[in-house]
Amino acid sequence: MFPTPVQKSGPLASAAYQIILPIALVIWLLPLLGVAVTSVRPSGDLAAGNYFGIPSSFAGVENYKAVFRDSPIGTYILNSFKITIPTVIGAVGLSCLAGFALAVYRFKGNLALFFLFVAGNFIPFQILMVPVRDLTLKLGLYDTVTGLVLFHVAFQTGFCTLFMRNFIKGLPFALIESARVEGVSEWRIFLHVVLPLMRPAIAALSVLIFTFVWNDYFWATVLVQGQSAMPVTAGLNSLNGQWVAAWHLVSAGSIVAALPPVLMFFLMQKHFIAGLTLGATKG
Amino acid sequence: MGNVTLTRVTKKFGAVEIIKGVDLTVEDGEFCVFVGPSGCGKSTLLRMIAGLEDISSGSLSIGGRDMTDVDPAERGVAMVFQSYALYPHMTVAENIGFGLRMTGHPKEEIARRTAAAADMLQLKPLLERKPAQLSGGQRQRVAIGRAIVRNPDVFLFDEPLSNLDASLRVQMRIEISKLHQDLKSTMIYVTHDQVEAMTMADKIVVLQAGLIEQVGSPLELYHRPRNIFVAGFIGSPKMNFLKVTARPTEGGVAVTFPGGPSLTIPTETPVIKGETTLTLGIRPEHLDRETGDVTLAGTVRLAEHLGSETLLYVTLADGAEISVKADGLTSARPGDAISIPLLARACHLFDTEGTALHNGDLTR
Repeated sequence: MFPTPVQKSGPLASAAYQIILPIALVIWLLPLLGVAVTSVRPSGDLAAGNYFGIPSSFAGVENYKAVFRDSPIGTYILNSFKITIPTVIGAVGLSCLAGFALAVYRFKGNLALFFLFVAGNFIPFQILMVPVRDLTLKLGLYDTVTGLVLFHVAFQTGFCTLFMRNFIKGLPFALIESARVEGVSEWRIFLHVVLPLMRPAIAALSVLIFTFVWNDYFWATVLVQGQSAMPVTAGLNSLNGQWVAAWHLVSAGSIVAALPPVLMFFLMQKHFIAGLTLGATKG
Repeated sequence: MGNVTLTRVTKKFGAVEIIKGVDLTVEDGEFCVFVGPSGCGKSTLLRMIAGLEDISSGSLSIGGRDMTDVDPAERGVAMVFQSYALYPHMTVAENIGFGLRMTGHPKEEIARRTAAAADMLQLKPLLERKPAQLSGGQRQRVAIGRAIVRNPDVFLFDEPLSNLDASLRVQMRIEISKLHQDLKSTMIYVTHDQVEAMTMADKIVVLQAGLIEQVGSPLELYHRPRNIFVAGFIGSPKMNFLKVTARPTEGGVAVTFPGGPSLTIPTETPVIKGETTLTLGIRPEHLDRETGDVTLAGTVRLAEHLGSETLLYVTLADGAEISVKADGLTSARPGDAISIPLLARACHLFDTEGTALHNGDLTR
């Protein structure tokens, strides 16, 4: 069997594995641990300069209570959902359709169009900050959930289409041809043959886009000012007072804000099983 | 009615011409096999009949109606793919009924026709399974079932058996032949396996490089190949070809083998004018005779014992290689000297272009 299981390899390799793996794990989790520990730290610790040490007492309950009491975090989280869910549906839905067209139909400029989608991913979106802000202002979408959704969909669809097109290209084309000979219309081929087989791709992409948009801080600060459309990532900042930085509260808020993407992942993970096309053709 | 007529049909991919003008008529109810080496365009031609590839020029009619530019769904054809192309997320029953469901047939009719097709193909116990839970032969049967329920005028098979193992292939071959007898529909079948072609076809179309080499019944192609390509392609092991010098004689052709012996081959009409070089063709199975009009001396290079018969690969005195299908009990071993009797009546003659001048006939 390759690779050789660690248990069967030499003592040196096995010792190295047992030492290095936990170290790597701790380094990898250090920032998260830091945030988690800070979220249960009393504010006095931070004032006294105890940033990374053991908390002097457990203040988790007060901190988390304070987050919900002192900030409209409920509104922020609701806003985040209002922004993220339509974006996921919009970006994944559009990219399924665009990916299907790019993968299945032969038309002039197909490849050029596909490269356009790919190339779009290489543009750093920060350089679009000023024109996009101007555009939203002119369209009357500044400081609205709709504005954020539209721009997120626009920016995410490029990558999604690249992903979907390649996934559909990987499906056996004979399935589509077979349905065509059977007299199934193109739209129904998409709905009944291709879409069910794309489940793993849709699940993976949904989680990815959900996490990405949920965690977005950049566009939230560029396109939103008021509380009404502010998502949780940018909203957490309001926990910091004008004069005092309340990092313990921001940390607690961050943990709360991070829960939905984690839940989303566990909900969708059974759909990741990609073996769905097995048995379609010989193999 | 399911007669298929192709008239001057061509297919171009960009500048490359794949099908170079094909004229063909497949009669209603006929089992027609397209056969040829890989890349000869046989699958492309089938896909053009199905409507999956455009026809670059020429015309196609099915059942007397022009179908050149008609959508695949409107052509009254059903196709079975080499890869089976079963929908992996549907059960066998759903796979079979899918086309009917999508084209708005009532539920009871779909159930009835699915059951009938399943009955015909012994798929009854498998109807609730997914394709992944089926063996290769069962998947192939489902693919055929999906074609049957649509009750098409013309069935199209694109190398349906090439993914199956040898014994299953023989079994499925018989099942498809039976199916043809039961349904009496037109079937067009593409294969590169000449055994499938010989055993199943009413009519074989031999294709090479986008052109039809010959059309005829299996035995016609076997006994009366029109050229050296067909002669070599049909029959296994393939026909032996020997370069000979020939001159016309009274009632035939006198040929001289490079090693010296000569032989007069009787022909009905004079086939050559003066002395010339020809290719003599003779099938391995016609070299296993007690006596011949002439004998060729050679050395056995290799013997393949198949039990029922033995294939001998023999090097002749002048270095030419020929194969002989000998009796299964033959004692010849590699290195043995052997003399091969040759019957003049069994010999075919081809000119330097490869066109057949004379076909041997053992019944004469």
